[in-house]
Amino acid sequence: MTGQQPHGQPASVQDVSQKGYYGVPVIHRPHWKWLVTGYFFLGGISGASAVIAAFGRLCGGSPGASVARVATYVSVVALVPCPPLLILDLGRPGRFLNMLRVFRTSSPMSVGTWGLTAFGLITALSTLLQMADDLAPGAGPLLTRTRRTASSAVALLGAISGFFVAGYTGVLLAATAVPLWSKRPALLGPLFLSSAMTSAAAAITATAILLGPDAEKGTRQLRTLETLATVAEGSLLFGWLMALGPTAKPLSEGRIGMIVRHGIVGAGVALPLIVSAALDHLPRRTRRPATLIASALTLSGGFALRYAVVEGGRLSADDPQATFEMTG
Amino acid sequence: MAEPPVVGFLTDATLCIGCKACEVACKQWNQLPGDSAPGVAELTGFSYDNTVDLGATTWRHVAFVERPTPHGIAWLMLSDVCKHCVHAGCLDACPTGAIIRTEFGTVVIQDNVCNGCGYCIPACPFGVPQLEHADGGSHKCTLCYDRLLGGLAPACATACPTGSIRFGEVDELRAAGHERVATLKEQGVAEASFYGGDELGGTGGIAGLNAMFVLNGPPDGFNLPARPRLPRLNIFPASVTTVLAAAGFSIAAAISFRDRG
Repeated sequence: MTGQQPHGQPASVQDVSQKGYYGVPVIHRPHWKWLVTGYFFLGGISGASAVIAAFGRLCGGSPGASVARVATYVSVVALVPCPPLLILDLGRPGRFLNMLRVFRTSSPMSVGTWGLTAFGLITALSTLLQMADDLAPGAGPLLTRTRRTASSAVALLGAISGFFVAGYTGVLLAATAVPLWSKRPALLGPLFLSSAMTSAAAAITATAILLGPDAEKGTRQLRTLETLATVAEGSLLFGWLMALGPTAKPLSEGRIGMIVRHGIVGAGVALPLIVSAALDHLPRRTRRPATLIASALTLSGGFALRYAVVEGGRLSADDPQATFEMTG
Repeated sequence: MAEPPVVGFLTDATLCIGCKACEVACKQWNQLPGDSAPGVAELTGFSYDNTVDLGATTWRHVAFVERPTPHGIAWLMLSDVCKHCVHAGCLDACPTGAIIRTEFGTVVIQDNVCNGCGYCIPACPFGVPQLEHADGGSHKCTLCYDRLLGGLAPACATACPTGSIRFGEVDELRAAGHERVATLKEQGVAEASFYGGDELGGTGGIAGLNAMFVLNGPPDGFNLPARPRLPRLNIFPASVTTVLAAAGFSIAAAISFRDRG
Protein backbone atom coordinates (compact mmCIF):
# COMPACT_ATOMS: atom_id res chain seq x y z
CA MET A 1 0.00 0.00 0.00
CA THR A 2 1.49 3.32 -1.02
CA GLY A 3 0.60 6.93 -0.58
CA GLN A 4 -1.80 6.45 2.30
CA GLN A 5 -1.14 6.50 6.00
CA PRO A 6 -3.03 4.23 8.37
CA HIS A 7 -5.90 5.99 10.04
CA GLY A 8 -6.40 4.17 13.30
CA GLN A 9 -4.54 4.30 16.57
CA PRO A 10 -1.77 1.75 16.99
CA ALA A 11 -3.01 -0.95 19.33
CA SER A 12 -1.99 -4.53 19.95
CA VAL A 13 -5.58 -5.53 20.59
CA GLN A 14 -8.47 -3.99 18.69
CA ASP A 15 -11.08 -1.80 20.27
CA VAL A 16 -14.08 -4.10 19.96
CA SER A 17 -16.59 -1.41 20.94
CA GLN A 18 -16.04 -0.04 17.41
CA LYS A 19 -16.72 -2.05 14.29
CA GLY A 20 -13.96 -2.44 11.77
CA TYR A 21 -10.27 -3.03 11.40
CA TYR A 22 -7.95 -0.62 13.31
CA GLY A 23 -9.97 2.32 11.94
CA VAL A 24 -8.79 1.66 8.38
CA PRO A 25 -11.38 2.95 5.84
CA VAL A 26 -13.51 0.21 4.24
CA ILE A 27 -13.72 1.99 0.89
CA HIS A 28 -11.16 4.09 -0.95
CA ARG A 29 -11.81 7.81 -1.18
CA PRO A 30 -12.08 9.53 -4.55
CA HIS A 31 -9.14 11.73 -5.58
CA TRP A 32 -11.45 14.55 -6.79
CA LYS A 33 -10.70 17.99 -5.35
CA TRP A 34 -10.49 21.54 -6.71
CA LEU A 35 -10.62 20.74 -10.42
CA VAL A 36 -13.80 18.70 -10.07
CA THR A 37 -15.32 21.21 -7.63
CA GLY A 38 -14.62 23.94 -10.19
CA TYR A 39 -16.18 21.87 -12.95
CA PHE A 40 -19.30 21.10 -10.90
CA PHE A 41 -19.70 24.83 -10.24
CA LEU A 42 -19.02 26.15 -13.75
CA GLY A 43 -20.75 23.28 -15.53
CA GLY A 44 -23.81 23.88 -13.36
CA ILE A 45 -23.82 27.59 -14.22
CA SER A 46 -23.36 26.86 -17.92
CA GLY A 47 -26.13 24.25 -18.07
CA ALA A 48 -28.62 26.27 -16.02
CA SER A 49 -27.82 29.43 -18.02
CA ALA A 50 -28.77 27.56 -21.19
CA VAL A 51 -32.05 26.60 -19.48
CA ILE A 52 -32.72 30.23 -18.52
CA ALA A 53 -31.79 31.40 -22.03
CA ALA A 54 -34.25 28.92 -23.51
CA PHE A 55 -37.19 29.93 -21.31
CA GLY A 56 -36.40 33.61 -21.80
CA ARG A 57 -36.37 33.15 -25.56
CA LEU A 58 -39.38 30.83 -25.82
CA CYS A 59 -41.82 32.43 -23.39
CA GLY A 60 -40.37 35.73 -22.20
CA GLY A 61 -41.23 38.19 -24.95
CA SER A 62 -38.84 41.12 -25.34
CA PRO A 63 -37.57 41.21 -21.70
CA GLY A 64 -37.05 37.45 -21.97
CA ALA A 65 -35.05 37.83 -25.17
CA SER A 66 -32.81 40.34 -23.40
CA VAL A 67 -32.18 37.85 -20.57
CA ALA A 68 -31.65 35.08 -23.13
CA ARG A 69 -28.97 37.13 -24.86
CA VAL A 70 -26.94 37.63 -21.66
CA ALA A 71 -27.60 34.04 -20.51
CA THR A 72 -26.30 32.63 -23.79
CA TYR A 73 -22.99 34.45 -23.37
CA VAL A 74 -22.73 33.52 -19.66
CA SER A 75 -23.38 29.90 -20.60
CA VAL A 76 -20.59 29.73 -23.17
CA VAL A 77 -18.09 31.63 -21.00
CA ALA A 78 -18.78 29.27 -18.07
CA LEU A 79 -18.50 26.23 -20.35
CA VAL A 80 -15.10 27.00 -21.91
CA PRO A 81 -13.01 26.16 -18.79
CA CYS A 82 -14.93 22.91 -18.16
CA PRO A 83 -13.15 20.52 -20.56
CA PRO A 84 -9.65 21.63 -19.41
CA LEU A 85 -10.68 21.23 -15.75
CA LEU A 86 -11.95 17.70 -16.42
CA ILE A 87 -8.96 16.70 -18.54
CA LEU A 88 -6.43 18.01 -16.01
CA ASP A 89 -8.14 15.99 -13.29
CA LEU A 90 -7.42 12.72 -15.12
CA GLY A 91 -4.48 10.63 -13.95
CA ARG A 92 -3.56 10.30 -17.62
CA PRO A 93 -4.81 13.51 -19.30
CA GLY A 94 -3.45 12.52 -22.72
CA ARG A 95 -6.06 9.78 -22.87
CA PHE A 96 -9.12 11.98 -22.36
CA LEU A 97 -10.56 10.89 -25.71
CA ASN A 98 -10.91 7.34 -24.32
CA MET A 99 -14.02 8.74 -22.63
CA LEU A 100 -15.68 8.62 -26.06
CA ARG A 101 -14.65 4.99 -26.76
CA VAL A 102 -17.83 3.52 -25.28
CA PHE A 103 -21.31 4.52 -24.14
CA ARG A 104 -22.27 2.84 -20.87
CA THR A 105 -25.66 3.54 -19.32
CA SER A 106 -24.38 1.97 -16.07
CA SER A 107 -21.85 4.81 -15.76
CA PRO A 108 -23.14 8.34 -15.10
CA MET A 109 -19.67 9.56 -16.06
CA SER A 110 -19.93 7.92 -19.47
CA VAL A 111 -23.45 9.24 -20.09
CA GLY A 112 -22.33 12.59 -18.68
CA THR A 113 -19.37 12.84 -21.06
CA TRP A 114 -21.62 12.28 -24.06
CA GLY A 115 -24.21 14.69 -22.66
CA LEU A 116 -21.56 17.35 -22.07
CA THR A 117 -20.24 16.85 -25.62
CA ALA A 118 -23.74 17.30 -27.06
CA PHE A 119 -24.30 20.33 -24.82
CA GLY A 120 -21.03 21.83 -26.05
CA LEU A 121 -22.12 21.54 -29.69
CA ILE A 122 -25.55 23.02 -28.92
CA THR A 123 -23.95 25.87 -26.93
CA ALA A 124 -21.65 26.63 -29.86
CA LEU A 125 -24.69 26.83 -32.16
CA SER A 126 -26.72 29.05 -29.85
CA THR A 127 -23.72 31.34 -29.36
CA LEU A 128 -23.26 31.68 -33.12
CA LEU A 129 -26.96 32.47 -33.59
CA GLN A 130 -26.83 35.06 -30.80
CA MET A 131 -23.71 36.65 -32.30
CA ALA A 132 -25.39 36.81 -35.69
CA ASP A 133 -28.34 38.61 -34.08
CA ASP A 134 -26.04 41.05 -32.28
CA LEU A 135 -23.63 41.78 -35.14
CA ALA A 136 -26.06 41.82 -38.07
CA PRO A 137 -29.53 42.50 -36.71
CA GLY A 138 -30.92 44.22 -39.80
CA ALA A 139 -31.28 41.23 -42.10
CA GLY A 140 -34.18 40.68 -44.51
CA PRO A 141 -37.53 39.29 -43.29
CA LEU A 142 -36.88 35.77 -44.64
CA LEU A 143 -33.49 35.53 -42.95
CA THR A 144 -34.91 36.97 -39.72
CA ARG A 145 -37.68 34.36 -39.68
CA THR A 146 -35.20 31.54 -40.40
CA ARG A 147 -32.96 32.78 -37.62
CA ARG A 148 -35.85 33.00 -35.18
CA THR A 149 -36.97 29.43 -35.94
CA ALA A 150 -33.39 28.17 -35.62
CA SER A 151 -32.95 30.06 -32.34
CA SER A 152 -36.12 28.54 -30.90
CA ALA A 153 -35.12 25.02 -31.92
CA VAL A 154 -31.59 25.42 -30.55
CA ALA A 155 -33.01 26.99 -27.37
CA LEU A 156 -35.18 23.92 -26.78
CA LEU A 157 -32.20 21.58 -27.27
CA GLY A 158 -30.18 23.86 -25.00
CA ALA A 159 -32.79 23.59 -22.24
CA ILE A 160 -32.82 19.77 -22.36
CA SER A 161 -29.05 19.34 -22.52
CA GLY A 162 -28.56 22.23 -20.06
CA PHE A 163 -30.79 20.55 -17.48
CA PHE A 164 -28.80 17.37 -18.04
CA VAL A 165 -25.39 19.02 -17.54
CA ALA A 166 -26.60 20.88 -14.44
CA GLY A 167 -28.07 17.78 -12.80
CA TYR A 168 -26.15 14.67 -13.83
CA THR A 169 -23.23 15.41 -11.52
CA GLY A 170 -25.49 14.76 -8.52
CA VAL A 171 -26.48 11.40 -10.01
CA LEU A 172 -22.80 10.64 -10.64
CA LEU A 173 -21.89 11.15 -6.99
CA ALA A 174 -24.96 9.21 -5.80
CA ALA A 175 -23.84 6.16 -7.83
CA THR A 176 -20.82 5.43 -5.61
CA ALA A 177 -20.20 3.62 -2.34
CA VAL A 178 -19.42 6.89 -0.51
CA PRO A 179 -21.92 7.05 2.39
CA LEU A 180 -22.51 10.82 2.23
CA TRP A 181 -23.28 10.71 -1.50
CA SER A 182 -25.09 7.39 -1.78
CA LYS A 183 -27.24 7.14 1.34
CA ARG A 184 -30.04 9.39 0.03
CA PRO A 185 -29.53 9.22 -3.74
CA ALA A 186 -32.84 10.92 -4.58
CA LEU A 187 -31.90 14.33 -3.17
CA LEU A 188 -28.42 15.07 -4.49
CA GLY A 189 -29.41 15.59 -8.15
CA PRO A 190 -32.24 18.06 -7.35
CA LEU A 191 -29.95 19.87 -4.88
CA PHE A 192 -27.22 20.29 -7.50
CA LEU A 193 -29.80 21.37 -10.07
CA SER A 194 -31.34 24.05 -7.84
CA SER A 195 -27.89 25.31 -6.83
CA ALA A 196 -26.99 25.54 -10.52
CA MET A 197 -30.19 27.53 -11.19
CA THR A 198 -29.48 30.05 -8.40
CA SER A 199 -25.83 30.44 -9.43
CA ALA A 200 -26.74 30.87 -13.09
CA ALA A 201 -29.47 33.42 -12.31
CA ALA A 202 -27.02 35.35 -10.13
CA ALA A 203 -24.28 35.24 -12.77
CA ILE A 204 -26.70 36.42 -15.49
CA THR A 205 -28.10 39.22 -13.30
CA ALA A 206 -24.63 40.45 -12.35
CA THR A 207 -23.44 40.32 -15.96
CA ALA A 208 -26.53 42.23 -17.12
CA ILE A 209 -25.95 44.98 -14.53
CA LEU A 210 -22.29 45.26 -15.47
CA LEU A 211 -23.18 45.47 -19.19
CA GLY A 212 -25.41 48.48 -18.55
CA PRO A 213 -29.09 49.51 -18.52
CA ASP A 214 -29.86 48.05 -22.00
CA ALA A 215 -29.00 44.55 -20.86
CA GLU A 216 -30.94 44.81 -17.63
CA LYS A 217 -34.34 44.31 -19.23
CA GLY A 218 -35.91 41.15 -17.85
CA THR A 219 -33.75 40.89 -14.73
CA ARG A 220 -36.89 41.47 -12.65
CA GLN A 221 -38.44 38.29 -14.08
CA LEU A 222 -35.14 36.53 -13.49
CA ARG A 223 -35.22 37.65 -9.86
CA THR A 224 -38.52 35.78 -9.36
CA LEU A 225 -36.90 32.61 -10.75
CA GLU A 226 -33.78 33.09 -8.62
CA THR A 227 -35.87 33.49 -5.47
CA LEU A 228 -37.82 30.31 -6.23
CA ALA A 229 -34.58 28.41 -6.92
CA THR A 230 -32.93 29.73 -3.76
CA VAL A 231 -35.87 28.61 -1.63
CA ALA A 232 -35.73 25.20 -3.35
CA GLU A 233 -31.98 24.96 -2.74
CA GLY A 234 -32.30 25.83 0.95
CA SER A 235 -35.18 23.39 1.45
CA LEU A 236 -33.43 20.54 -0.41
CA LEU A 237 -30.22 21.10 1.56
CA PHE A 238 -32.14 21.03 4.84
CA GLY A 239 -34.10 17.94 3.78
CA TRP A 240 -30.96 16.16 2.59
CA LEU A 241 -29.03 16.84 5.81
CA MET A 242 -32.01 15.68 7.90
CA ALA A 243 -32.45 12.52 5.82
CA LEU A 244 -28.73 11.69 6.09
CA GLY A 245 -28.85 11.65 9.88
CA PRO A 246 -25.46 10.68 11.37
CA THR A 247 -24.00 10.25 7.86
CA ALA A 248 -24.12 14.07 7.50
CA LYS A 249 -21.37 14.36 10.14
CA PRO A 250 -18.65 15.57 7.71
CA LEU A 251 -20.96 18.47 6.74
CA SER A 252 -21.75 19.55 10.29
CA GLU A 253 -18.32 19.37 11.92
CA GLY A 254 -15.12 21.38 11.68
CA ARG A 255 -14.08 23.49 8.71
CA ILE A 256 -16.61 21.96 6.28
CA GLY A 257 -19.37 22.47 8.87
CA MET A 258 -18.47 26.16 9.01
CA ILE A 259 -18.51 26.37 5.21
CA VAL A 260 -21.96 24.76 5.18
CA ARG A 261 -23.39 27.09 7.84
CA HIS A 262 -21.83 30.39 6.73
CA GLY A 263 -20.99 29.77 3.08
CA ILE A 264 -23.99 27.82 1.82
CA VAL A 265 -26.81 28.68 4.25
CA GLY A 266 -25.70 32.18 5.21
CA ALA A 267 -24.09 33.63 2.08
CA GLY A 268 -25.76 31.42 -0.51
CA VAL A 269 -29.35 31.21 0.71
CA ALA A 270 -30.29 33.54 3.60
CA LEU A 271 -28.55 36.81 2.66
CA PRO A 272 -29.57 36.80 -1.03
CA LEU A 273 -33.19 36.15 0.00
CA ILE A 274 -33.06 39.05 2.47
CA VAL A 275 -31.53 41.39 -0.14
CA SER A 276 -34.09 40.28 -2.71
CA ALA A 277 -37.00 40.92 -0.32
CA ALA A 278 -35.63 44.33 0.67
CA LEU A 279 -34.61 45.43 -2.82
CA ASP A 280 -37.79 47.30 -3.75
CA HIS A 281 -37.63 49.29 -0.50
CA LEU A 282 -34.04 50.38 -1.01
CA PRO A 283 -33.17 53.82 -2.45
CA ARG A 284 -33.02 53.54 -6.25
CA ARG A 285 -29.30 54.24 -6.60
CA THR A 286 -28.33 51.51 -4.12
CA ARG A 287 -30.32 48.77 -5.88
CA ARG A 288 -27.65 47.93 -8.47
CA PRO A 289 -24.76 47.58 -5.99
CA ALA A 290 -27.05 45.64 -3.61
CA THR A 291 -28.02 43.25 -6.41
CA LEU A 292 -24.37 42.82 -7.39
CA ILE A 293 -23.45 41.98 -3.80
CA ALA A 294 -26.35 39.52 -3.53
CA SER A 295 -25.23 37.87 -6.79
CA ALA A 296 -21.68 37.54 -5.53
CA LEU A 297 -22.98 35.99 -2.30
CA THR A 298 -25.17 33.55 -4.22
CA LEU A 299 -22.24 32.53 -6.42
CA SER A 300 -19.93 32.01 -3.45
CA GLY A 301 -22.68 29.90 -1.82
CA GLY A 302 -22.98 27.81 -4.99
CA PHE A 303 -19.23 27.18 -5.02
CA ALA A 304 -19.26 26.42 -1.28
CA LEU A 305 -22.00 23.81 -1.84
CA ARG A 306 -19.98 21.95 -4.50
CA TYR A 307 -16.82 22.18 -2.40
CA ALA A 308 -18.53 20.95 0.79
CA VAL A 309 -20.17 18.02 -1.01
CA VAL A 310 -16.95 16.93 -2.76
CA GLU A 311 -14.70 17.37 0.29
CA GLY A 312 -17.34 15.97 2.66
CA GLY A 313 -17.51 12.87 0.45
CA ARG A 314 -13.79 12.31 0.89
CA LEU A 315 -14.12 12.56 4.67
CA SER A 316 -17.17 10.28 4.59
CA ALA A 317 -15.26 7.65 2.58
CA ASP A 318 -12.45 7.75 5.16
CA ASP A 319 -14.86 6.99 8.01
CA PRO A 320 -15.33 3.22 8.32
CA GLN A 321 -18.17 3.69 10.82
CA ALA A 322 -20.18 5.61 8.20
CA THR A 323 -19.77 2.68 5.79
CA PHE A 324 -20.68 0.09 8.43
CA GLU A 325 -23.71 2.13 9.41
CA MET A 326 -25.01 1.65 5.85
CA THR A 327 -23.85 -1.90 5.19
CA GLY A 328 -24.62 -3.50 8.53
CA MET B 1 -13.66 -22.80 -28.92
CA ALA B 2 -15.76 -23.39 -25.81
CA GLU B 3 -15.96 -20.63 -23.20
CA PRO B 4 -13.65 -21.37 -20.30
CA PRO B 5 -15.46 -21.84 -16.98
CA VAL B 6 -15.87 -18.91 -14.56
CA VAL B 7 -13.04 -19.06 -12.03
CA GLY B 8 -12.33 -17.40 -8.72
CA PHE B 9 -10.87 -17.76 -5.25
CA LEU B 10 -12.03 -19.27 -2.01
CA THR B 11 -9.96 -17.73 0.79
CA ASP B 12 -10.37 -19.46 4.14
CA ALA B 13 -9.53 -17.45 7.26
CA THR B 14 -9.49 -20.60 9.38
CA LEU B 15 -6.55 -21.98 7.41
CA CYS B 16 -4.52 -18.78 7.10
CA ILE B 17 -1.30 -18.66 9.14
CA GLY B 18 -0.43 -15.07 8.22
CA CYS B 19 2.79 -15.93 6.36
CA LYS B 20 2.10 -13.29 3.64
CA ALA B 21 3.51 -15.61 0.94
CA CYS B 22 0.48 -14.58 -1.16
CA GLU B 23 1.41 -10.90 -0.86
CA VAL B 24 4.99 -11.60 -1.90
CA ALA B 25 4.10 -14.00 -4.72
CA CYS B 26 1.60 -11.47 -6.08
CA LYS B 27 4.13 -8.66 -6.03
CA GLN B 28 6.81 -10.81 -7.65
CA TRP B 29 4.65 -12.16 -10.47
CA ASN B 30 2.94 -8.84 -11.19
CA GLN B 31 6.19 -6.85 -10.71
CA LEU B 32 4.66 -4.56 -8.11
CA PRO B 33 6.85 -2.35 -5.90
CA GLY B 34 7.19 -2.95 -2.17
CA ASP B 35 4.88 -1.26 0.29
CA SER B 36 7.41 1.16 1.72
CA ALA B 37 10.45 2.97 0.42
CA PRO B 38 13.64 0.83 0.37
CA GLY B 39 15.29 0.71 3.75
CA VAL B 40 12.36 2.35 5.51
CA ALA B 41 10.44 0.13 7.87
CA GLU B 42 6.86 1.25 8.40
CA LEU B 43 5.58 -0.50 11.48
CA THR B 44 1.93 0.21 12.08
CA GLY B 45 1.38 -1.49 15.41
CA PHE B 46 -1.69 -3.19 13.93
CA SER B 47 -0.66 -6.65 15.11
CA TYR B 48 1.60 -8.12 12.39
CA ASP B 49 -0.08 -6.10 9.63
CA ASN B 50 2.27 -3.56 8.09
CA THR B 51 0.50 -3.68 4.73
CA VAL B 52 -2.75 -2.13 6.09
CA ASP B 53 -4.95 -2.19 3.00
CA LEU B 54 -5.38 -3.26 -0.60
CA GLY B 55 -4.12 -0.64 -3.02
CA ALA B 56 -2.77 0.17 -6.45
CA THR B 57 0.39 -1.90 -5.88
CA THR B 58 -0.93 -4.30 -3.20
CA TRP B 59 -3.40 -6.80 -4.60
CA ARG B 60 -3.31 -9.29 -1.70
CA HIS B 61 -3.43 -8.01 1.87
CA VAL B 62 -3.21 -10.25 4.92
CA ALA B 63 -5.30 -8.86 7.78
CA PHE B 64 -4.34 -9.71 11.38
CA VAL B 65 -7.28 -9.45 13.76
CA GLU B 66 -6.75 -9.70 17.52
CA ARG B 67 -10.04 -10.01 19.36
CA PRO B 68 -10.50 -10.46 23.07
CA THR B 69 -12.69 -13.48 23.84
CA PRO B 70 -13.62 -15.16 27.17
CA HIS B 71 -10.79 -17.64 26.48
CA GLY B 72 -8.12 -15.02 25.77
CA ILE B 73 -7.11 -13.25 22.60
CA ALA B 74 -8.39 -14.73 19.35
CA TRP B 75 -5.82 -14.20 16.60
CA LEU B 76 -7.45 -14.28 13.17
CA MET B 77 -5.82 -13.86 9.79
CA LEU B 78 -7.30 -13.44 6.35
CA SER B 79 -5.81 -12.72 2.95
CA ASP B 80 -8.05 -10.07 1.37
CA VAL B 81 -8.26 -9.62 -2.38
CA CYS B 82 -10.44 -8.13 -5.15
CA LYS B 83 -13.84 -9.84 -5.00
CA HIS B 84 -14.31 -10.10 -8.80
CA CYS B 85 -18.01 -9.35 -8.19
CA VAL B 86 -20.67 -10.96 -10.37
CA HIS B 87 -22.03 -7.41 -10.85
CA ALA B 88 -19.03 -5.17 -10.31
CA GLY B 89 -19.34 -1.53 -9.23
CA CYS B 90 -15.99 -0.61 -10.81
CA LEU B 91 -16.95 -2.13 -14.15
CA ASP B 92 -20.33 -0.35 -14.12
CA ALA B 93 -18.67 2.99 -13.40
CA CYS B 94 -15.75 2.83 -15.85
CA PRO B 95 -16.45 5.40 -18.62
CA THR B 96 -13.67 4.29 -20.97
CA GLY B 97 -14.36 0.58 -21.21
CA ALA B 98 -10.97 -0.05 -19.62
CA ILE B 99 -12.55 -2.37 -17.03
CA ILE B 100 -13.82 -5.55 -18.63
CA ARG B 101 -15.29 -8.93 -17.75
CA THR B 102 -12.81 -11.46 -19.12
CA GLU B 103 -13.53 -14.83 -20.69
CA PHE B 104 -12.75 -16.31 -17.25
CA GLY B 105 -15.51 -14.27 -15.61
CA THR B 106 -12.94 -12.13 -13.80
CA VAL B 107 -12.85 -8.31 -13.68
CA VAL B 108 -9.72 -6.75 -15.16
CA ILE B 109 -8.55 -3.15 -15.69
CA GLN B 110 -6.89 -2.83 -19.12
CA ASP B 111 -3.95 -0.61 -18.27
CA ASN B 112 -3.49 0.53 -21.87
CA VAL B 113 -7.04 1.96 -21.94
CA CYS B 114 -7.52 3.40 -18.40
CA ASN B 115 -7.24 7.21 -18.39
CA GLY B 116 -7.19 7.60 -14.62
CA CYS B 117 -10.60 9.28 -14.19
CA GLY B 118 -10.81 7.69 -10.74
CA TYR B 119 -14.54 6.89 -10.82
CA CYS B 120 -14.00 3.16 -10.19
CA ILE B 121 -12.34 3.95 -6.87
CA PRO B 122 -15.39 5.26 -4.93
CA ALA B 123 -17.64 2.96 -7.00
CA CYS B 124 -16.15 -0.16 -5.38
CA PRO B 125 -18.07 -1.07 -2.19
CA PHE B 126 -15.02 -3.03 -0.95
CA GLY B 127 -12.29 -0.41 -1.42
CA VAL B 128 -10.25 -2.41 -3.91
CA PRO B 129 -9.02 -0.36 -6.91
CA GLN B 130 -6.81 2.65 -6.31
CA LEU B 131 -5.08 5.27 -8.43
CA GLU B 132 -1.30 5.04 -8.62
CA HIS B 133 0.45 8.40 -8.50
CA ALA B 134 3.45 7.07 -10.40
CA ASP B 135 1.56 6.23 -13.61
CA GLY B 136 -1.82 7.92 -13.11
CA GLY B 137 -3.82 4.74 -13.71
CA SER B 138 -6.16 2.67 -11.56
CA HIS B 139 -4.96 -0.78 -10.56
CA LYS B 140 -6.15 -3.92 -8.83
CA CYS B 141 -5.91 -7.72 -8.83
CA THR B 142 -6.24 -9.24 -12.31
CA LEU B 143 -6.70 -12.75 -10.90
CA CYS B 144 -3.41 -13.30 -12.80
CA TYR B 145 -5.08 -13.00 -16.19
CA ASP B 146 -1.78 -13.72 -17.92
CA ARG B 147 -1.26 -16.92 -15.91
CA LEU B 148 -4.83 -18.06 -16.62
CA LEU B 149 -4.16 -17.65 -20.35
CA GLY B 150 -1.17 -19.95 -19.92
CA GLY B 151 -3.18 -22.53 -18.00
CA LEU B 152 -1.59 -21.66 -14.63
CA ALA B 153 -3.24 -20.91 -11.30
CA PRO B 154 -2.83 -17.37 -9.89
CA ALA B 155 0.47 -16.68 -8.11
CA CYS B 156 -1.06 -16.21 -4.65
CA ALA B 157 -2.99 -19.49 -4.72
CA THR B 158 0.11 -21.30 -5.97
CA ALA B 159 2.26 -19.87 -3.18
CA CYS B 160 -0.20 -20.44 -0.31
CA PRO B 161 1.31 -23.21 1.84
CA THR B 162 -1.83 -24.13 3.80
CA GLY B 163 -4.54 -24.26 1.16
CA SER B 164 -6.14 -21.15 2.65
CA ILE B 165 -6.28 -19.67 -0.86
CA ARG B 166 -8.00 -22.04 -3.25
CA PHE B 167 -8.33 -21.32 -6.95
CA GLY B 168 -10.90 -23.03 -9.14
CA GLU B 169 -14.30 -22.93 -10.78
CA VAL B 170 -16.64 -20.71 -8.78
CA ASP B 171 -19.46 -23.28 -8.56
CA GLU B 172 -17.12 -25.82 -6.97
CA LEU B 173 -15.55 -23.23 -4.69
CA ARG B 174 -18.95 -21.99 -3.52
CA ALA B 175 -20.03 -25.54 -2.65
CA ALA B 176 -16.71 -26.17 -0.92
CA GLY B 177 -17.06 -22.93 1.05
CA HIS B 178 -20.53 -23.79 2.31
CA GLU B 179 -19.37 -27.30 3.17
CA ARG B 180 -16.40 -25.92 5.08
CA VAL B 181 -18.65 -23.56 7.07
CA ALA B 182 -20.94 -26.48 7.96
CA THR B 183 -17.95 -28.54 9.13
CA LEU B 184 -16.61 -25.65 11.20
CA LYS B 185 -19.99 -25.12 12.85
CA GLU B 186 -20.13 -28.83 13.68
CA GLN B 187 -16.73 -28.45 15.28
CA GLY B 188 -18.06 -25.63 17.44
CA VAL B 189 -16.86 -22.55 15.52
CA ALA B 190 -20.17 -20.72 15.98
CA GLU B 191 -19.04 -17.58 14.12
CA ALA B 192 -18.01 -19.40 10.95
CA SER B 193 -19.68 -17.83 7.92
CA PHE B 194 -19.57 -17.87 4.13
CA TYR B 195 -18.86 -14.41 2.69
CA GLY B 196 -19.73 -13.89 -0.97
CA GLY B 197 -23.30 -15.17 -1.28
CA ASP B 198 -26.81 -13.75 -0.98
CA GLU B 199 -26.60 -13.25 2.78
CA LEU B 200 -23.13 -11.80 3.26
CA GLY B 201 -20.91 -9.91 0.84
CA GLY B 202 -22.74 -10.64 -2.40
CA THR B 203 -25.81 -8.60 -1.46
CA GLY B 204 -27.54 -5.48 -2.79
CA GLY B 205 -27.48 -6.29 -6.49
CA ILE B 206 -23.87 -7.51 -6.49
CA ALA B 207 -25.28 -11.03 -7.00
CA GLY B 208 -22.37 -12.87 -5.43
CA LEU B 209 -18.58 -12.72 -5.37
CA ASN B 210 -16.30 -14.80 -7.57
CA ALA B 211 -13.60 -14.36 -4.92
CA MET B 212 -15.34 -15.61 -1.77
CA PHE B 213 -14.27 -16.14 1.81
CA VAL B 214 -14.76 -18.41 4.80
CA LEU B 215 -14.68 -16.23 7.89
CA ASN B 216 -14.42 -17.09 11.57
CA GLY B 217 -15.52 -13.77 12.96
CA PRO B 218 -17.84 -10.90 12.02
CA PRO B 219 -17.07 -9.57 8.50
CA ASP B 220 -16.50 -6.01 9.72
CA GLY B 221 -13.61 -7.27 11.88
CA PHE B 222 -11.80 -8.01 8.59
CA ASN B 223 -12.98 -4.64 7.20
CA LEU B 224 -15.49 -6.42 4.96
CA PRO B 225 -18.96 -4.79 4.72
CA ALA B 226 -21.64 -7.32 5.70
CA ARG B 227 -24.28 -6.17 3.23
CA PRO B 228 -22.71 -4.00 0.51
CA ARG B 229 -24.83 -2.49 -2.23
CA LEU B 230 -24.18 -2.08 -5.93
CA PRO B 231 -23.78 1.71 -6.50
CA ARG B 232 -25.38 1.51 -9.96
CA LEU B 233 -28.77 0.87 -8.33
CA ASN B 234 -28.79 4.51 -7.19
CA ILE B 235 -28.82 5.82 -10.76
CA PHE B 236 -32.53 5.19 -11.25
CA PRO B 237 -33.93 6.97 -8.14
CA ALA B 238 -31.40 9.81 -8.52
CA SER B 239 -32.31 10.31 -12.19
CA VAL B 240 -36.07 10.23 -11.59
CA THR B 241 -35.93 12.96 -8.95
CA THR B 242 -33.50 15.04 -10.99
CA VAL B 243 -35.87 14.91 -13.98
CA LEU B 244 -38.77 15.85 -11.67
CA ALA B 245 -36.74 18.78 -10.34
CA ALA B 246 -36.04 19.84 -13.94
CA ALA B 247 -39.79 19.73 -14.64
CA GLY B 248 -40.40 21.86 -11.54
CA PHE B 249 -37.83 24.44 -12.66
CA SER B 250 -39.36 24.49 -16.15
CA ILE B 251 -42.69 25.50 -14.62
CA ALA B 252 -40.98 28.03 -12.34
CA ALA B 253 -39.07 29.53 -15.29
CA ALA B 254 -42.18 29.66 -17.48
CA ILE B 255 -44.17 31.41 -14.73
CA SER B 256 -41.34 33.86 -14.00
CA PHE B 257 -40.92 34.87 -17.66
CA ARG B 258 -44.70 35.05 -18.35
CA ASP B 259 -44.95 37.99 -15.98
CA ARG B 260 -43.90 40.89 -18.21
CA GLY B 261 -45.32 43.71 -16.15
